[in-house]
Amino acid sequence: MTAAGQSADHALALQVDGLRVSYGPKCAVDGVSLDINEGEIFGLLGPNGAGKTSTLSAIEGLVKPDSGSIRIGDVDARANPAAAKARMGVQLQSTSFQPNLTIREIVRLYAGLYGVPLTRAGIDDLLADVHLGEEASKRFSQLSGGQQKRVSLLIATIHSPPLVLLDEPTAGLDPQARRQLWDRIERLRDIGRSILLTTHSMEEAQAVCHRVAIIDRGKLVTVDTPAGLIAKHKDDPRVRKVAHGQVTLEDVFIGLTGSDLRD
Amino acid sequence: MIFAIEMSSQPNAPPGRPLTLSGVLRALLEADLTVQLRNGRALVLTFLLPLVLLYGLSAGKRRAQLGGPIVDVALALTLGIASIAILGYTASVARDREMGVFQRLRVTPAPSWTIMLSRLAVQIVSMLVMSVVVLVAAAVVENVTLDPAAYFLTFLAVIFSSAVFLGVGQALVGLIKSPDTVNAVGRLSYLPLFALGLFAHSTIFGTTFETIARWSPGGAVATLLAGAMQPATWGADTWWALLASVLYAVVFAGIGIRWFRWSTR
Repeated sequence: MTAAGQSADHALALQVDGLRVSYGPKCAVDGVSLDINEGEIFGLLGPNGAGKTSTLSAIEGLVKPDSGSIRIGDVDARANPAAAKARMGVQLQSTSFQPNLTIREIVRLYAGLYGVPLTRAGIDDLLADVHLGEEASKRFSQLSGGQQKRVSLLIATIHSPPLVLLDEPTAGLDPQARRQLWDRIERLRDIGRSILLTTHSMEEAQAVCHRVAIIDRGKLVTVDTPAGLIAKHKDDPRVRKVAHGQVTLEDVFIGLTGSDLRD
Repeated sequence: MIFAIEMSSQPNAPPGRPLTLSGVLRALLEADLTVQLRNGRALVLTFLLPLVLLYGLSAGKRRAQLGGPIVDVALALTLGIASIAILGYTASVARDREMGVFQRLRVTPAPSWTIMLSRLAVQIVSMLVMSVVVLVAAAVVENVTLDPAAYFLTFLAVIFSSAVFLGVGQALVGLIKSPDTVNAVGRLSYLPLFALGLFAHSTIFGTTFETIARWSPGGAVATLLAGAMQPATWGADTWWALLASVLYAVVFAGIGIRWFRWSTR
């Protein structure tokens, strides 16, 4: 199954083809292919250990794929990782910054690493924009979960990258913080950013993503719009078996990946 | 120097300036220096321990048996360098790796080697500052003053010596993942690595022990530093100490680089 080749009319922000990642004898990602259009929010769904984070890590350049190609816009990420990294913003699943730096200093550091010239007033404006103006002198560990996620998202987008990768961006947040974060993610989409995210929240994926892919045991199982996936799989006996009434994206997800617990 | 990032023709290409190695290094160095200055434990390790040892040796009754005032200063410098590298550097690298700080930095365009280079550079700067403080204290406490060439040579020797102990520190974080275990093993290895050096110029425990002590990492570094402080006495022993230091640095750094992982997961 591949998510590629469905977007011939659009410019592509990300093209992954035949990606394979293994850790020793364990194959974590097995031949995954996907395309993300400019201005698209693309959700990668899968049970724990399905290969979502490994896929993202390969795109981010944190793990070396065994095979496959990755293009960020017009840049071959495997041949030119620094140029590819300059074109993407990343929010890792569990982000941490240097514990002895203030939020203002963290923003200054990452602006410097992306070559973005920022004055102290410019940094304070950015922090005020994400409602963290009063936290500028605090350490990252002193912030609440929602504030930490806002700092992470601010840093992921500080260089206005065309592609933003978000690994479980709303995990562990309360409903208010989650809603705020989705508003920010949608604003990124509105200004033309492409977003690849992983999430365990089917409701959020259904509400926000243009397209979603379901990955399981390292392989892409299916990909389409949320409505398209439901339409395509609503009569699948595995999906019917778990559905209670109207078929939802979660029913499709559980039907296709099974209801066994994963780690 | 501009490294290989050509901006895309896409309309929404990044707005930043072309990335330069100097810009990346400046950002990293500024952050790492700030972290170092805010780390109270690092400051204690940097200044307090060598000054306490210097004072202790100068006040000790058996100071002549350990080698005299120049050796006292060399031992204080060795302790400072070993403390900063084996306790300070390893602890911060192990902690930041566990917390995911390195992975966050590695998803930026900064080449991975610049992340570690910046860390090491800050440690070497700390060691040089510590050396200035110890040498000033030595002039006051021990009445040890050097001519300008000897000061220059001593600072060069400090940089060589830093490679030995930073290599040891790198090997520790290369071979051990858990920050707690790194701290524990660091403390345990600190004694044989440094304390043996205390007796590199003393036959208190016999000549065999002196020979072992002299060729331990701490002993080689102390001999090198003592030789650098007295260029007139620089001889075969100092050359051998320099060679031993280089070998220790290459072996330990090689192990550390070969086995180092940026993430514990």
